[in-house]
Amino acid sequence: MSLRRAGAVARRIVLQFRHDRRSLGLLFVAPIVVLTLVGALWGPSATTSTVRVVSAGDVDPQLFQALRGTEIQLVALDRDAAVEELKAGRADAMVEFADNVATITVEGSDPTRTGSVLGQVQAALTHLILDVPLTSFVKIHYLYGGAGYSLLDYLAPVLIALFGFFFIFLLSTVSFLRERTSGTLERLLASPLTRVELVAGYLGGFAVFALLQAVVILAFTVLVLKVQYRGNLATIFLVEAVIVVGAVALGLAISAFARNELQAVQFVPLVLLPQVFLSGLLVPVAQLNDYLRPLSAIMPLTYANEALRSVMVKGYAVSDPLILRDVGILAAFAAVMAVAAVFSIRREVA
Amino acid sequence: MDIRPAVEARDLRKDFSSVTALDGLSLAIHPGEIYGLLGPNGSGKTTFIRTLAGLLRPDAGLVLVFGSTPRAAVACGQVGYMTQAAALYGELSVQENLAFFAALQGVTDVEARIEDALRRVDLLDRRRSIVSTLSGGMRTRVSLAATLLHAPRLLLLDEPTVGVDPALRKEFWDHFRSLAGTGVTILVSSHVMDEASRCDRLGLIRAGRVLAEGSATELIARAGTADLESAFLALSAVQA
Repeated sequence: MSLRRAGAVARRIVLQFRHDRRSLGLLFVAPIVVLTLVGALWGPSATTSTVRVVSAGDVDPQLFQALRGTEIQLVALDRDAAVEELKAGRADAMVEFADNVATITVEGSDPTRTGSVLGQVQAALTHLILDVPLTSFVKIHYLYGGAGYSLLDYLAPVLIALFGFFFIFLLSTVSFLRERTSGTLERLLASPLTRVELVAGYLGGFAVFALLQAVVILAFTVLVLKVQYRGNLATIFLVEAVIVVGAVALGLAISAFARNELQAVQFVPLVLLPQVFLSGLLVPVAQLNDYLRPLSAIMPLTYANEALRSVMVKGYAVSDPLILRDVGILAAFAAVMAVAAVFSIRREVA
Repeated sequence: MDIRPAVEARDLRKDFSSVTALDGLSLAIHPGEIYGLLGPNGSGKTTFIRTLAGLLRPDAGLVLVFGSTPRAAVACGQVGYMTQAAALYGELSVQENLAFFAALQGVTDVEARIEDALRRVDLLDRRRSIVSTLSGGMRTRVSLAATLLHAPRLLLLDEPTVGVDPALRKEFWDHFRSLAGTGVTILVSSHVMDEASRCDRLGLIRAGRVLAEGSATELIARAGTADLESAFLALSAVQA
């Protein structure tokens, strides 16, 4: 392999981006815009929605006392009016007291909201029954994270991986497809350049931008969104670097299956959405059904998410066997995809 | 003196699914010769040129470029291939495009070669222009310059003058002639008869086979017609 020729391809890609200011800008601006939105949605400043409870019939004044300082807003109404409030969606739960038993009726269509409402109402009722806050009996210690941890702190590691992967995968797929469709690939293959040198050059050229983008995403997450993290920033960057290089290689290989740019863009949800659902972003991998877990195991984002969460939330070091294993798997994925990309370039050598 | 043919093809066959692109094509091109491959669309001209450029593997038969496999000849910079489309990077300048192709070919004196190639195609003043801003004819000229950068011994030109105005077409042919004078072998495909008459030798190709070979004068005499176009039609009818 000639490093000189591979380097020429990499330099050409860098030059093309320098001329294409709009694509270059979007490469850095797009993740920042999305992350800003995510920060506003799930960050520490996001307001917790108030639980609106209607009490049917008589209400013990102590209940009002117990709810003071909580996120529960209690209104006492007669039963019919209370049911009406619940049905109209103006209340989240209805509490009825009869024979020393509290009956809670919830709207129930949103499982997440239901869980949150029930938890808060049950804690408030425990406070009422025991006459002291539950926290007097239960002391909570956090092995990782803490009371001040927001949803964003938990999701940030996987979002860093997802956004880095998504943007650079899309770009490398479309760029390499353009090489195929514009006729320049034909010209390259009728030169001394080998397929391995071409893929190496592409990986090198895109890696420059993928890594710069990774730095921007990481810096924005840590410095602007103030996401809490424990581990070493260099370790976080290492994991991010390996996943984005894998994304470039995957993009090059996938572009062989598209005949035009529209088809290439249609591959993005096909490659990305299964990983969003099965890589631990929405549902922990351990909670997946048995038949979904093998699928999760072949997805690169699964290992990136596991490694980044372990480093950022739990403070694992780069020398930890779990991190070494995940980084190793991601590097192997990048290598396999690079080989697939080489074979996807069809040249019947005479 | 090298007496080996620059290009030698024997009984070449290439099928694409149900279509036979080359059907026993045989020919030899001598060093320093301008050989015209003349035939209608779909006759196998581009398939043969792509085979010589190392892009296609024949299903059967023998093909040699300077005594080696086409890929070996391409790998050591002996072949220059100008595709039908300009095949350049539109976002880059003329200079950047040429510098890139020169680097792939291992050209050492890049600046001098680029200047020489641009002078030959009369585009020295557009060196800094972004390729996407150039006219179609200018892009074709840049494409030719990119093919000439590494001074190949064999030039494969696939319909190089399509979309080129008559004045530039004459310039191109003057240039091809001067290159042939320095020993460069040129294989040019065309379906334009007046262009074909400028070649040293012609191969009339149809359905993947060479129907007849010779200079334009020879082919006209053999067919007993008034011009090359009529000769091509007459010789095609005889073979059919």
